[in-house]
Amino acid sequence: MLLVLSEEQKAHLGCLPRLGAAAVGELGRLAVELLRRGAAPRACEAAARKLNIGVDTIQHCVEGLTYLLTESSKLMISELDFQDSIHVLGFSDELNTLLLQLYLDSRKELRSVLSELAPKLPSYHSLEWRLDVQLASRSLRQQIKPTVTVKLHLNQNEDQTAQVLQTDPSTLLHLIQQLEQALGEMKTNHCRRIVRNMK
Amino acid sequence: QRFRFCGDLDCPDWVLAEISTLAKISSVKLKLICAQVLRDLLGEAIEYEKILKLTSDAKLESGDVKATIAVLGFILSSAAKHNVDSESLSSELQQLGLPKEHASGLCRSYEEKQSSLQDSLRACSLRLSQLGSVSWRVDYTLSSSELREVNEPLVHLNFNVRDGERGRTATISMALSADKFRVLLAELKQAQALMNTLL
Repeated sequence: MLLVLSEEQKAHLGCLPRLGAAAVGELGRLAVELLRRGAAPRACEAAARKLNIGVDTIQHCVEGLTYLLTESSKLMISELDFQDSIHVLGFSDELNTLLLQLYLDSRKELRSVLSELAPKLPSYHSLEWRLDVQLASRSLRQQIKPTVTVKLHLNQNEDQTAQVLQTDPSTLLHLIQQLEQALGEMKTNHCRRIVRNMK
Repeated sequence: QRFRFCGDLDCPDWVLAEISTLAKISSVKLKLICAQVLRDLLGEAIEYEKILKLTSDAKLESGDVKATIAVLGFILSSAAKHNVDSESLSSELQQLGLPKEHASGLCRSYEEKQSSLQDSLRACSLRLSQLGSVSWRVDYTLSSSELREVNEPLVHLNFNVRDGERGRTATISMALSADKFRVLLAELKQAQALMNTLL
């Protein structure tokens, strides 16, 4: 599968041949840092001063490189496809090899960063519970009514929410039974076959 | 095998695995580390540097130090949770492979702080909300737009309720006529009498 680069991106990456191999390595490192930690304008300015080029050009170059790296990592394209994709830019063989090496080195890390960007549902954080017995109320004395109060703490993208639920013991037992049945599904032949095929 | 300090369940694997790490520390130093862990469980600041100094003789890695603190925290809080007396705890720990002096040192620290630990655990049990304070005011309505001579007393009540999870305070205000207030007071006194029979 080939990567398609727009004209703008080709223009951004067009400044790369002018810089030496060391500079390209430096920009590659900046691009990976950008993907790891987010924008670092001061690092770009420092690189611009060191390489004696305008900050805008550096910025564009780094952005072009990050697009190249993320798209290639996302699609998990093979070495051959990567080489064919950047061939269209008309770079020297040395530069092409450099870019290929950069791609292969950072591919695994970029894929793990990208996997965390998928949308997430609220996930379990912790559970607090309490067992009470209601002995009397305004309308009725001499009661015995056990209740379990549960506070479910959930995490969603650093947001913590809590749900308070209340149930009587028999519903709780039913709930436990249903959850154990759900866990038991993993042991059926059907699920085992799918898990085996995924591995 | 069932253990009382684990709530009559099996001992978790990670606890079993760390017992051998505990045995590497001398029993005197273990008792001092227990004291620090108890401070943490009771809500005071833990002095991590002291623990590092105490474990330096046993040449534990940083991961092992954290594991030691975690396993001691589990043993002490779980024993307090299930109201295990210190002798049973000592014998159960010895069954798990902890040497006798280590177990008795640990259990002596536990025994000293058992009731404070249980008090602190009781205080942080699940609680949905808590009444912070009540403020009141009695007014006398002279007249209104509907009726020229009203001449009735009115009670204003403010309940300051603390929300359990984040300590936010909400104020619930209400105004009651004299009759309604008498009914409220009578009902609350009945509830108080019922509570007193249970204390």
